[in-house]
Amino acid sequence: MPLLELSDLRKRYGGIVALDGADLALEAGEVHVLIGANGCGKSTLCKVIAGSVLPDSGVLRIDGAERRFRSPREAAAAGVGVFYQELSLVPSLSVEDNLLLGREPRRFGLVDRRAVRREAERQLALFAGALGPELAPDSRVADLSADQRQVVEILKVLGEDARLILFDEPTSSLDRRQVAIFFELVRALKREGRTVVFISHRMDEIFEIGDRVSVMRDGRVVETTAVADTDPGRIVRAMVGGEAAAGGAPGAAPGTAPAPARPGDATLLRVDGLSAPRVDGVSLELRAGEILGLGGLHGQGQSALLRGLFGIEPGVRGRIEVEGRPLRRPTPADSIRAGLAYISGDRGRDGVALLRPILENLAYGLVTREGGVAFPRGRVAGRLGPVVERLGLRFGSLSDPVRSLSGGNQQKVVIGRWLATAPRVILLDDPTKGIDVNAKADLFRMVRELAEAGAAILLYSSEDGELLGHAERVLVFNGGRIVRELSGEGLTRHALNEAAYATPGATPGAEAGAAA
Amino acid sequence: MSAATSGIGPRLRRSTWLLALGSALLLAAINLALQPSFLEPGVMASNLTTFLPLILVAIGQTWVVLASDIDLSIGSTVSLVNVVTVVVIDALGGDAAAIAAGMAAGVATGLGCGLVNGLCVARLRFQPIVTTFATGVVFAGLALMVLPEAGLPVPEVYWRGYAGGLFGVRSVVLVLAAALLLCLVIERTRFARALRASGGQMQAAYQSGVPVTWTRIRAYLLAGFFAALAALCLTGETASGDPLLGGAYALSSISAVVLGGTALAGGVGGFLGSVFGAVVLGLIGNVIFFARLPFEYQTLVQGLIVLAALAGGVLVARR
Amino acid sequence: MSAQNPSASAAVRRRLGALALHPLTLALAAAVALLALGEAISPGFASPGQIVSQLTIAALLGMVAAGQTLVIIGGREGIDLSVGGVISLCAFVAGNLMAGTDAAIPLALAATLALGFAVGLLNGLGIVLLRIPPLVMTLGMTGVIQGALVILTRGVPSGRSAPALTALMNQPLVAGIPGVLLLWAAVALGVCLLLHNTAFGVRVYAIGANPEVARIAGMRPERIRALLFGLSGMFAGLTGFLVLGYTGSVFVGIGLQYVLPSIVAVVIGGTSLAGGIGGYLGTIGGAITLTVLQSLLITLDAGPAGRQVIFGLTLLVLLLLYGRQRGLRG
Repeated sequence: MPLLELSDLRKRYGGIVALDGADLALEAGEVHVLIGANGCGKSTLCKVIAGSVLPDSGVLRIDGAERRFRSPREAAAAGVGVFYQELSLVPSLSVEDNLLLGREPRRFGLVDRRAVRREAERQLALFAGALGPELAPDSRVADLSADQRQVVEILKVLGEDARLILFDEPTSSLDRRQVAIFFELVRALKREGRTVVFISHRMDEIFEIGDRVSVMRDGRVVETTAVADTDPGRIVRAMVGGEAAAGGAPGAAPGTAPAPARPGDATLLRVDGLSAPRVDGVSLELRAGEILGLGGLHGQGQSALLRGLFGIEPGVRGRIEVEGRPLRRPTPADSIRAGLAYISGDRGRDGVALLRPILENLAYGLVTREGGVAFPRGRVAGRLGPVVERLGLRFGSLSDPVRSLSGGNQQKVVIGRWLATAPRVILLDDPTKGIDVNAKADLFRMVRELAEAGAAILLYSSEDGELLGHAERVLVFNGGRIVRELSGEGLTRHALNEAAYATPGATPGAEAGAAA
Repeated sequence: MSAATSGIGPRLRRSTWLLALGSALLLAAINLALQPSFLEPGVMASNLTTFLPLILVAIGQTWVVLASDIDLSIGSTVSLVNVVTVVVIDALGGDAAAIAAGMAAGVATGLGCGLVNGLCVARLRFQPIVTTFATGVVFAGLALMVLPEAGLPVPEVYWRGYAGGLFGVRSVVLVLAAALLLCLVIERTRFARALRASGGQMQAAYQSGVPVTWTRIRAYLLAGFFAALAALCLTGETASGDPLLGGAYALSSISAVVLGGTALAGGVGGFLGSVFGAVVLGLIGNVIFFARLPFEYQTLVQGLIVLAALAGGVLVARR
Repeated sequence: MSAQNPSASAAVRRRLGALALHPLTLALAAAVALLALGEAISPGFASPGQIVSQLTIAALLGMVAAGQTLVIIGGREGIDLSVGGVISLCAFVAGNLMAGTDAAIPLALAATLALGFAVGLLNGLGIVLLRIPPLVMTLGMTGVIQGALVILTRGVPSGRSAPALTALMNQPLVAGIPGVLLLWAAVALGVCLLLHNTAFGVRVYAIGANPEVARIAGMRPERIRALLFGLSGMFAGLTGFLVLGYTGSVFVGIGLQYVLPSIVAVVIGGTSLAGGIGGYLGTIGGAITLTVLQSLLITLDAGPAGRQVIFGLTLLVLLLLYGRQRGLRG
């Protein structure tokens, strides 16, 4: 008998069908990978298991007994633990308070603070050496870097002692060492007979840790196989269904990189000795038509460089020239007027105003670039028409809120905003975080078109495959500096990894950037 | 970059009440300079009697604010508790049993008001500012219905008992001590942690299995309870009923809470800061009085000092 | 235009649905129902004269609420509790500047608007530079203004409205409609145009919905937010000016009665206190509904206590109808 069995789950949100008769069975002691394009219903499925969404119909059984979770508390009581990205921590509380939230050890009915501290220290010790010295049980979560926060979230779920744990993209901000420790912990869970559901957009991780894989599409589970019996190509084909799976899958094979920039092309961006918080004396040149990659472990200054260039983070020193004109102490408005654009993968924080209409979200860049007093909606919509067409954006009406779109389409709105300003230099800050394969392919198709039309692109990606597949040159970062430049024949997955880890004396991850 | 390490740093940062304590001490020193008798027991006790109601209301407001809610009805709750108490005591004849029943009715009224607020805000998910404004209007109207005009004295035992003491300790000191003890116990419960989690990041608290709705309701219940306590003290002080008694407490309790370093956004702060914040507000009144400013300047100066103190409190709490 | 255009009739149906559910429609329906109820109980309640006089009162509330709408849409817990103090202060200043003469009206109006804007801007600067929460900042500002008024008035009502201003408020100008209603219509048109058809409006909604996105898109959320508080002060100043015309002279606390109703009118009008969504049309409906409700309660002779209870309960019912926040469960 499976530990957990879902049959014929259905859930609609208004007119949108999130689950359309999904079935899934999870065995005790397995790592079960759940994969599918965005909007395929996997997060809704997880939320049903976790008790934060009630299905419209369908049956959920644990140990053969039918259950119906009306809140996360009820699910937790039944032995279900859930890891959500960026959702389960309270920033204003300390690490220890977060780790034991809601299950603090008590003496005489009152919280035993010493026991809280002991338990937190025991848990943090699991990641000893991979977290950086500044992480203490009483650090405020708000002061932690993204990878530290993610580790705390992982530990929090592990501490719940659940029989079934759902991990929704638990490794998205972790560096390789942290991922390795995490996988060890997952294997230990397996040995204890616990079940792990693992969601990730990183194919290599799936093959490293998974036992079985279930592929979801259009609110249904379309295929479940042993990981050993399948391969990435087959999984991607199952995800996209009948549609052609060709062209720009994540981690497209090296060798498909576009032709290198022609020597005669103008230099669009010149950065000389740029320093900023977490960036240490970076110099680079970017030519028209070029896609320049920024590589290395997560949080080594790549994102900080892009945000500093665009004027989002203050404290930037050094020379910046755009098309030969200096840009001193830029603000976003200055950068936009100089022809820069910044696209972040962190849509919720940096990308879209969810409650506002698609039209307005698309027009933010224009409003800044062109100034002016009036905002004639009809005329603006007309001007944005070609952009919308080019994006292949799917929507009901331009006056619908962005919230009504799927994640990938929301990201297209962000891209459209900047396409409309006809930028010369485009800064991409891990732009495909959390979007599905098709949306990724669309995004890179557009990026290449822009480059071919003469724009210069600075691409930071946490997925090596994206750098290998799309950049002609990659600057590898470590500790805020460029430690290696790879191009042509030398640009291989092996070289990337080697360069990322190679710097003597640096401790990867320890100085990983705190998020803003 | 500003990563916290174990030790004095984070503890200092968490002690959001320090600034309020500092301001209170500074004002007390000024007060002493202007009024040499300030430290005499009689004067201290009379000051405490004046400050105690706001201290209690501010403590009540703190729980709600920690959950990132707010209670604008807390002043009307004070009024309603006051009139219910005196009317019940009067109706039952004014003996010891009547007084006990009246006080019990008052506390029940306070809890009832808190429950209504909690249900509307946490259960029905109304916006807290507007909701508690609306319930405040209702409570104030009910107070006027219960006792249309100020008057109706309480029995002598009541106010004599409040002005007197027990085993040589004054009643006001006992009430304050009991209230602080209760707060210390509450702070050690899971509820207090659930409260800060709910106020800090409600969705995260919910996903972590914290009973957010019930936690917020309990915060409003506590607000109602402390408002009732304040009303019973005020009743002892004024010795009568007044349907408009609590009018100013909603806004001054919020000022006290903010002065005490509790963030209006929720999740950070605590009752101790609010106690000091209430004392600061009271001492400002004292200092202005003893500084012999022309009468008409008192309001302006008080307003300016409160504004400056609020700005300071916010700036320090934010670090 | 789009890849998946729904059929035309579906679009029309959607438009109609949106119109039927628009806060203005809902609020006006509530107002009409209240008027009908009042007429049934006390004939003459819904007479044209009565309706005009109620709209005049609603206009005053609606003008304060215009500023309130702007700061609330601007987000980050935007709220302006100082409008009451500003109304009192500006009514006092206007009354003393014009002192009963028509000739002084332009000067008084200009001074009033400038003063209101200055006080509001001060609020805004405290909020964005010192990062004091708006609730606290504007509350503190109210204390300061009241203190200043005590000194200025010495507790005695002073200043006098000019005849022309009084006429604007109380006498028909065109077709039985007093000038103040035409002024309100003009203000409404201006505010709606500002919010929906200018780049500034796009920015206001953007900073309210997601200030970080707005900042990255090159907007300056702090500057805009400070300006919104300035505008709120200006609208409160305008209201104070008109209140002077309505009442003839001024006492210290005259504006305080507008503070909470102005917020309630905005909320009833469907503007979210979380910012980034809503508009002034709904607020107009909210102001009218609130005013009719209050005068109905007076007509019912409910007595001050009963009136208060019913007023409060009605607000709670309205909140139940459309003031609910999103649930925690997805």
